[in-house]
Amino acid sequence: MRRTTLTLPADALTQAERIARARKVKLSAVISEALSEGLRVYAAAERGEQVLNSYRTAFGGFSEEEVAILDGVILESEAGH
Amino acid sequence: MVLPASGPFLFDTSAESWLARSGDPQARVWMREYLSHHQVQVSAVTLLERVRGYSLLWRRARPERRESIEVARTAYLGGLGRVWPIDSATAVVAGEIMALAPDPPTPPRRSHHLAESRQERLARWRFDGMIAATALLVRMPLVHNNAADFEHIRGAIERAPGRFPKLGPLELVRCTSLL
Repeated sequence: MRRTTLTLPADALTQAERIARARKVKLSAVISEALSEGLRVYAAAERGEQVLNSYRTAFGGFSEEEVAILDGVILESEAGH
Repeated sequence: MVLPASGPFLFDTSAESWLARSGDPQARVWMREYLSHHQVQVSAVTLLERVRGYSLLWRRARPERRESIEVARTAYLGGLGRVWPIDSATAVVAGEIMALAPDPPTPPRRSHHLAESRQERLARWRFDGMIAATALLVRMPLVHNNAADFEHIRGAIERAPGRFPKLGPLELVRCTSLL
């Protein structure tokens, strides 16, 4: 654990204090949980953007026939059969 | 519309590429929202089909294009989410599906002067059976872009529930229904 000083919006702080009273826990515990959840969502969104960028590179620049091959549909010239 | 948060879903090979390539802004919004909750989950069969596809395109490509195909392949592998293996349970369920539905319901694919061979069509049909078996075992809806094949498999499973104890029904979601 590390100690720090934060400047928070008044309404968020009031809400966090209300939750802490209702759950009979310290204000720092409520803020810590909320921060962890926020960071989890942020990390998931960041990871999602990375996957979408990977997809753009992985599937961009191919023709429909080439995408069919990438999808497992192996099309050959009929003369080649 | 299917809520992205209601996943995770197993994505069939062509559904994954459809979502990745769709020009529909709604598809992008759906995928971004899905990825904020879940990973893209695929069968090892999808990975096999994809890698074979990149490798075939690379072998057929002119030398100057090969590097971009390799970049695409590396990007795909780098963005992979969860890949479900073909284990003994999957083999048992897929074997039952293949016995119940030995023949594909539609003919080989054709496109202009190109055609899929009968052997390739049968192989693809069997791969679909393995993907459906994976969806049954991991108890996830299967997102697909191939209604004819997967509805046929679902029908076969529903006609012989005794061959799939404690499994099923196969839940299917067409990718266009996601949005």
